Amino acid sequence: MNPDLLSVVVRTLALAGVLQAAGAAFFVVLFGPWLLRSGQRIRRLGYQAALAGMALLAAQQWLRGARLADSYAGLVDPALQRLAWGGSGGQAAWLQLAGLAVIACGLARQGRAAAGVAAAGAAIAACAFALTGHTSEHAPRALLAPLLCVHLLVVAFWFGALLPLYLCIRHEARADAVALLRAFSGVAGWLVPAIGVAGLALAVMLIPAANTWRAPYGLLVLTKLGAFGLLLLLAAWNRWWAVPAMAAGDAPAAPRALRRSIAIEYLLLAAVLAVTALLTSFYSP
Amino acid sequence: MRRFSVLAMLVLGLAPLNAQAHAHLLQATPADGSVLTEAPASFMLLFNEPARLTALNIQRDDEAPQKIGGLAGAASARWVIAAPKLAPGGYTLSYRVLSEDSHIMSGSIKFRLREP
Repeated sequence: MNPDLLSVVVRTLALAGVLQAAGAAFFVVLFGPWLLRSGQRIRRLGYQAALAGMALLAAQQWLRGARLADSYAGLVDPALQRLAWGGSGGQAAWLQLAGLAVIACGLARQGRAAAGVAAAGAAIAACAFALTGHTSEHAPRALLAPLLCVHLLVVAFWFGALLPLYLCIRHEARADAVALLRAFSGVAGWLVPAIGVAGLALAVMLIPAANTWRAPYGLLVLTKLGAFGLLLLLAAWNRWWAVPAMAAGDAPAAPRALRRSIAIEYLLLAAVLAVTALLTSFYSP
Repeated sequence: MRRFSVLAMLVLGLAPLNAQAHAHLLQATPADGSVLTEAPASFMLLFNEPARLTALNIQRDDEAPQKIGGLAGAASARWVIAAPKLAPGGYTLSYRVLSEDSHIMSGSIKFRLREP
């Protein structure tokens, strides 16, 4: 496998690790009171995601040396490793490592204060992406960086909530799980559209000409938008059909159907992260 | 519906603020697709913004790529690198640069060297 391809795989996993850890921290701080039986499992999930995310981020930066050299010799080239860990890309990675460490510390303990610490780490880890890439160098930075932060914070909230929701449906009493799902839907209904609005605004600002939409960069952005539309349909099905069916309690298979739907949502979002890794590694507007 | 209309207008209103991104190759010598009758003494790469050239390889036809060294240094928009001795054949000069915004960009230039 050449360094570029391996780098995309590792970057996809690192994105998933960072967003899962951050999302689990947001989930615990927002919905802590509902987590009677699943709270410890969700904290453990976030803790393990934070540790995995740290290892994957380190691997991602190390592999940048190989990408810079166009060969694995870059892994042991001190000058290229300095470049890989320096600059705005290196600063973003160091800040994300720090954010993930804070998440791990916060989720290792119980209580509101610890959850607040984890959520602060989550905000740092998610927003650190704005230190590098298009948003770090190019005008109008004052608009690009906040838009990217909003986009990433809500993506972390959404992606990182799916496995915790799965655990809740599995381990909480049905009435508690339904109350939690309704509370989550209420918050998500307001926040999730911001992913599309901020993402589209970023694309409109970064894509210089109409024909770029037909180039690989534009086509990958359109793929992300298409997947986002599909995810919204799935989320709407969950909210208006699966959760009411579970609340009614007359369909014994309803929790299983909802868990399956959440698993599909997770896989679709993971595919979007892979497209993002490809987009941000190789293509330019 | 009204909320989404307002958001759509806001998004479309951002278009005039277009941001430029990454280092792009503006010009190269030898030029892409050129046919030469004399081996070049050097290669020149001109980018739209300062960038660090981190890898430069030249490959003749189906032979293994050859690394061209001596790339260390600060970021620059214009790079001139001494060319190795070239025999007639089809060549691909591939490069990697690190943009100011930390993106790694790659590209290649193809040229042909004919018998004089």
